[in-house]
Amino acid sequence: MSAPAYETSNYEYVNARVRSRRASLFDDDDYRKLVRMGTGEIARYMEETEYEAEMNRLASRYSGVDLIEYALNQNLAKHFEDLLRWSEGRLYDYVARYLRKFDAWNVKTALRGVYTDASTSDVEDDFIRAGEFSGASLDELVEADSVEEVVEALEETIFGDPLRAAMDDYEDTGLLVPLENAVDRTFYETLIEGLPANPDRPTELYVQFLRAEIDFRNVRNALRLARTATDMDPAEYFIEGGRLFDRDELRGLVADEAQLVEHIRESTYGDDLADALRVLEDAETLIGFEHALEVALLEYAGTLSNRYPLSVTPVLSYVLAKEREVENVRAIARGREADLSPEEIQEELVVR
Amino acid sequence: MYETVPQLAEVALQQGGPALDAQGAAAIAVGLGAIATGYAQRGIGSAAVGAVAEDDDMFVPALIFTALPETLIIIAFVTIFIAGS
Repeated sequence: MSAPAYETSNYEYVNARVRSRRASLFDDDDYRKLVRMGTGEIARYMEETEYEAEMNRLASRYSGVDLIEYALNQNLAKHFEDLLRWSEGRLYDYVARYLRKFDAWNVKTALRGVYTDASTSDVEDDFIRAGEFSGASLDELVEADSVEEVVEALEETIFGDPLRAAMDDYEDTGLLVPLENAVDRTFYETLIEGLPANPDRPTELYVQFLRAEIDFRNVRNALRLARTATDMDPAEYFIEGGRLFDRDELRGLVADEAQLVEHIRESTYGDDLADALRVLEDAETLIGFEHALEVALLEYAGTLSNRYPLSVTPVLSYVLAKEREVENVRAIARGREADLSPEEIQEELVVR
Repeated sequence: MYETVPQLAEVALQQGGPALDAQGAAAIAVGLGAIATGYAQRGIGSAAVGAVAEDDDMFVPALIFTALPETLIIIAFVTIFIAGS
């Protein structure tokens, strides 16, 4: 893309469009209707909303849950491409960095694809073409026949070095976890890397938002480890850049769940996470807590974007909300297919 | 050009009177008001275009909000009549 003057970002324009799109996401009522529908009805319902173009394009090739799923993915990719198309200057840089999330997703899809011997077309369909990778490099990933080839194809990207480092672990254990972990960590660590040392206001907000996301992810990982009581080293799963814990602190806290909860309660996120922690105390499983954590992150993003309208946070908050919507609709469609009751599906949804 | 400054100052002093009369000062005031209006409309305008692009129904509200900063320049315009007379 042509390089506009680095300082000028068009926050006003992008935020107006993003807010409008955010308003047209499914709301409570829509979800209430959707959970009572069969997959065919969901598809028809989606045809009358945002997803019309994708639905019409894909309807001849797929049906049922697959149709819904691919329409969701394509719609997501379209919206996020739009974000990149609109933004200029520094805003473009921030959004592009954040959307590398989908590069990470695509890499993981490719890895899982070769690991489980999925067909190339299946892998290709699961890609979300919203990240930085070009179509050609994604095709290269699809063509790869082994995990080694995928890693080789990624040599030139930001994922190259960490993946190569994780290959030893993969060869020892035969599990994909070390590789996927390397991808996730690279993504989060490059998000914050290389930003100016003394940030101005918008940059500071960007960093603040990402810190929150990293912290929430660390909380989730820590609690998962605490609950499963495995002897895995928590530091392996730790993502740098948050402000809630550091690596050593985390190692101590995972051993003692009560102390971990207390640590979170006293942190700056105490208020935001109060609900989530209450759910955690009541419930035996982590699922409820993880959902509450997602809601808390959405709310935190929403608060930031209301408080600072002329910054990157409304865009990021929209990206999060859109992702949630896609995941919710997918959960509904899959749930209906598996004949879950509307109440059970409702519990799986993350609605704000 | 510096060597001409003393002569220039002498002329200015001999002629007396302010460098800018009331009309001139009013003109500067109106000009600054116009710049402020433009600056305000820059942000509002780009947001308005974004909103209209997403939803055509937003056209009228967008137009109203884009025109709102015009009040700045209209009020500044009054200065001419007050200062000029």
